[in-house]
Amino acid sequence: MADPAAHVIAGFANVSLSSLHWSHTSDACIHPEQAGLCATANGSLAQTAAAGTDAVGLEAASSRSSGQSNGSDDPAVQKFHAALSMPNIDIAQLQKLSWKGIPGKYRSTAWRLLMGYLPLNASRRGPTLLRKRREYDDWVSQTFARGEESLDRALWHQIRIDVPRTTAGSPLFQAPRVQRSLERVLYCWAARHPASGYVQGINDLLTPFFYVFLEPHLPPLPGGAAHSHPELAAAAIDTLDGAQVSAVEADSFWCLTKLLDGIQDNYTHAQPGIQRQIVKMKELVARIDSSLAAHLDTEGVEFIQFAFRWMNCLLMREVNLESTVRMWDTYLAEPDGFSSFHIYVCAAFLLKWSKELAQLDFQQIMFFLQQPPTASWSAKDVELLLSEAYMYKCLYHNAPSHYTSSAVAKR
Amino acid sequence: MSSYAYLFKYIIIGDTGTSCLLLQFTDHRFLHSHDLTIGVEFGARIVPVDNKNIKLQIWDTAGQESFRSITRSYYRGAVGALLVYDITRRDTFEHVATWLEDVRKHSNTETTIILIGNKCDLEAKRSVSREEGEKFASDNGLYFIETSAKTASNVDDAFIQTAQDIYEKVQEGVLVVNGEPSGVKLGPSQPGVSSMPDVSQINGYGCC
Repeated sequence: MADPAAHVIAGFANVSLSSLHWSHTSDACIHPEQAGLCATANGSLAQTAAAGTDAVGLEAASSRSSGQSNGSDDPAVQKFHAALSMPNIDIAQLQKLSWKGIPGKYRSTAWRLLMGYLPLNASRRGPTLLRKRREYDDWVSQTFARGEESLDRALWHQIRIDVPRTTAGSPLFQAPRVQRSLERVLYCWAARHPASGYVQGINDLLTPFFYVFLEPHLPPLPGGAAHSHPELAAAAIDTLDGAQVSAVEADSFWCLTKLLDGIQDNYTHAQPGIQRQIVKMKELVARIDSSLAAHLDTEGVEFIQFAFRWMNCLLMREVNLESTVRMWDTYLAEPDGFSSFHIYVCAAFLLKWSKELAQLDFQQIMFFLQQPPTASWSAKDVELLLSEAYMYKCLYHNAPSHYTSSAVAKR
Repeated sequence: MSSYAYLFKYIIIGDTGTSCLLLQFTDHRFLHSHDLTIGVEFGARIVPVDNKNIKLQIWDTAGQESFRSITRSYYRGAVGALLVYDITRRDTFEHVATWLEDVRKHSNTETTIILIGNKCDLEAKRSVSREEGEKFASDNGLYFIETSAKTASNVDDAFIQTAQDIYEKVQEGVLVVNGEPSGVKLGPSQPGVSSMPDVSQINGYGCC
């Protein structure tokens, strides 16, 4: 096989069990230039009862790389390709690679592996996906079997009015089909987690998963452009069949569940996780940039006034969806990325504006931080932020405050 | 232009409509699909009261119950509270008593509270009568007004009426300027601005 991706795909097709949700054919056949690949995958599928090479999603990914021979010129792509082709994924290696950003076509697979949703062992992936998707589907069927009247009215109402306001600027998330999916995921999650229930902001956290998992299934764009913009993806959503959308929905549900398991106390009563994070962030900023900390204090700015949202929505309100997705590559690769490392990212985010903030009074600071100038941010800006955060983590993570020079100087 | 005699701190609370009201007041804009408020949002505007500029700094608080323990911490510093319900949604009016209890418990006793029935442009969908709103307000010693954040009807009045009441309390000495927690502050001293010198002299503000 000339295309190494095709080999991978065929391999996955063989090891994966069929997914009842999955219509693989339409997915693999949307790229004429990959016809050979399509046939291979279908051939494999034919032997496995039904469609289901989605086990890792690589088939869609490989077919995206039109004209570039699997993008093999790019060493990062090659490394991911090799790492994801192993029958037993080396998670440490995958984390190391992912920290620096995951190529678009491997992201759906890599995220699900890094979340611990997809098993590292290739042969277990198919059965696991099948079981998990079925479990979610059964849950949805049971929950919604008796119509909206049987639902928790207040909860359902809240979710129904929040979903249209979720990532409202993106046509993808304005598509009725997508909105129905988000509603089901959020309701099912909340119903299963009464300790916190649905807290606004959790709706935001669902969108990167949905976006990333949906992306490989969208038809290619003219000129071979990737679906790197939600706007471009919007037009394509209606071309998908129901099974594809429900698989994306189920995977999103399980990954959201895993994410929230790690930051549950951000959303329980009085949100103690967030309160703790803000205290840590404030300490950190004071150690790194004592004059900024002093200025904020003099102006009467409290960290909770601006950083609450940064924690509650993981900075998703401050940067665009593309930037969030890139940030999550790294968060997923960091131990406690969404809880601990996020504090360093928030500190780095604030410190980025240190010079500007020093010139501003209370009101100006609040306005500035409420709408930080990130509209033109690209992956580069996000990567710089992540590097700065990493540097702060290395410098301060295990260093008690009394060892720092600024703390000593104050005494 | 940006000089002001006093600064008053406000909160806006209620199940719904708080962000639209603030946006209309500060930016003269209305959004059909406003971003969800997470925790609190900040806004500010200067209004005239008794020929003086008063700066209002306003915390718009998230309506969701989950955020209540966070948003409550903003009550204490506020001298003005706008309690909003939606005249087309009876449930939001039914929650007003709980909101009031909450704000009474956690704010200053002298906080001026105004009850606001929002969406008065949607008369056909009204499910809470004006009289009901008025009665609740008078029974509980609140100001009352019906507004439309969409058409801007009465929005300025809701904020300014509250500011007038607070201003009178300041003049009468009921509210202490720069007290702790201070929901009322003096404006920065503005040498050469005619309306300001007496204020700064009285309080010694601006003297080095």
